[in-house]
Amino acid sequence: MPSLLEYIPFLIEGSLWTLSLVALGLSLGLSLGLPIALMKFYGVKLDAYIWFMRGTPLVVLLSLLYWGVFPSFGVELGPFETSVIALGLRSSAYQSQIFLSALNSVDSGQIIAARSIGMRESQVVTYVLLPQALRISLPSWSNEYAIMLKDSSICFALGVMEILTRARYISVATDSALLPYLLAGVLFFSLTHAGTGALEIVYRRVKIKGTLGG
Amino acid sequence: MVGRYIAVLLLGLLVGAALGYAIPKQEECLLERSKFSNPPSGEVTIVYGFDANYPPFTVMQPDGKPVGFDVDVMNLIAEKYGWKIVYKPWDWSTIVAALENGDIDVIASGMTFTAERSQKIWFSVPYYTYVHQLVVRSEDKRSLDEILNSNEYIAVQVGSTADKWADKLLKAGYKFKKLGLDSYVAALEALLDGRASAVITDSAFLEPYLKRNPAAADRVKVLGNLGAPKTYAIATRPQDKWLRDKINEALEELMNSPKWNELLRKWGLD
Repeated sequence: MPSLLEYIPFLIEGSLWTLSLVALGLSLGLSLGLPIALMKFYGVKLDAYIWFMRGTPLVVLLSLLYWGVFPSFGVELGPFETSVIALGLRSSAYQSQIFLSALNSVDSGQIIAARSIGMRESQVVTYVLLPQALRISLPSWSNEYAIMLKDSSICFALGVMEILTRARYISVATDSALLPYLLAGVLFFSLTHAGTGALEIVYRRVKIKGTLGG
Repeated sequence: MVGRYIAVLLLGLLVGAALGYAIPKQEECLLERSKFSNPPSGEVTIVYGFDANYPPFTVMQPDGKPVGFDVDVMNLIAEKYGWKIVYKPWDWSTIVAALENGDIDVIASGMTFTAERSQKIWFSVPYYTYVHQLVVRSEDKRSLDEILNSNEYIAVQVGSTADKWADKLLKAGYKFKKLGLDSYVAALEALLDGRASAVITDSAFLEPYLKRNPAAADRVKVLGNLGAPKTYAIATRPQDKWLRDKINEALEELMNSPKWNELLRKWGLD
């Protein structure tokens, strides 16, 4: 029986999958979530989408896309791509709420002032709303990274071998129920800490003294 | 700021794509549901689905390749016909759907032949027989009936055939509490440290496990068997008649050769 130590590279290889899922999922969530937040801010009704995406467990969404939606439209996407889309769609709903609350916290007087000096609505968004809202949302946005990092383990339902699945395999292969998970925990902990730490640095670099969240 | 937002977005996509590219790729399955109905032309590649959660039938090696009794059997079958095998780990809870969908072509992963499963997927000839067992700590002097009516915890692996057995016993009116855990290893661990008074497991897992772990073997004993023996078989899609015929032919040949006993011995299943 191979020892636990020999499995460490195997476990670490799983973090490539995990990080890849998270980077793509977060990007997709960001590129959908911000427009959704803006649309909601301007009164477009998107509640149904957000209810659905926030209310369904990830594994349901994964199964629905992979075995229901995509085949019925004749789209052939692999498990990895489907996982990214499911993570991204769900994250877009969470992220839109983060951005919406940041947009709402921008003082409405500023918007009125911007309009009164003749700014078009697109200029209000790019020069007044977004620069502040994105900064404000950064600390709560880093939560999204930490959450998705750990949620991505559910993607093994479609055969994507990320960290936790590997830990389970190692647990079985070495007849030990504790240590492999402990190792996976350390790995998750350092990945979470590295990511949120990096975002913390970004936050400190971009924040402006005297403004909201600064 | 918007420029920066786009830059961050692009960076995320780039990092994700680069990581996705860096991962060693496995050959994709064609998602063709009846590709083995008739003899295929050219080289045959079989995508072999398993959940490496079940020693000694399927276990993961540190290099990411599976080993085990079932893996050896599949390799020997492939060797006989010159097939190429692609290993594809898959979650046990969705593995049948994956087979139907064409993500994988066969399941050989200690899969019990049941009437329920064979509505959806078709099995080869059975190749291994096991029986469910109730295991307790060696010092426990109670009888099978006393344990099952003790109101104490009995551990099982969630979703396994032992789990079904526990449900069946509870439905029949026995009084115990079920402790569902992630694997048989975890269930036995619970028995050893006293969180459960007994474990329902199967001989196919237990006997090799106790051979590998003599220390644990001294501390537990099999109190009795539950029900009739069950069998493992290799699952294929109903349409893939050619593949199933080939597997059956190879299995029969293998089981009638001395090699079969060697394999059983190698994995502690004799």
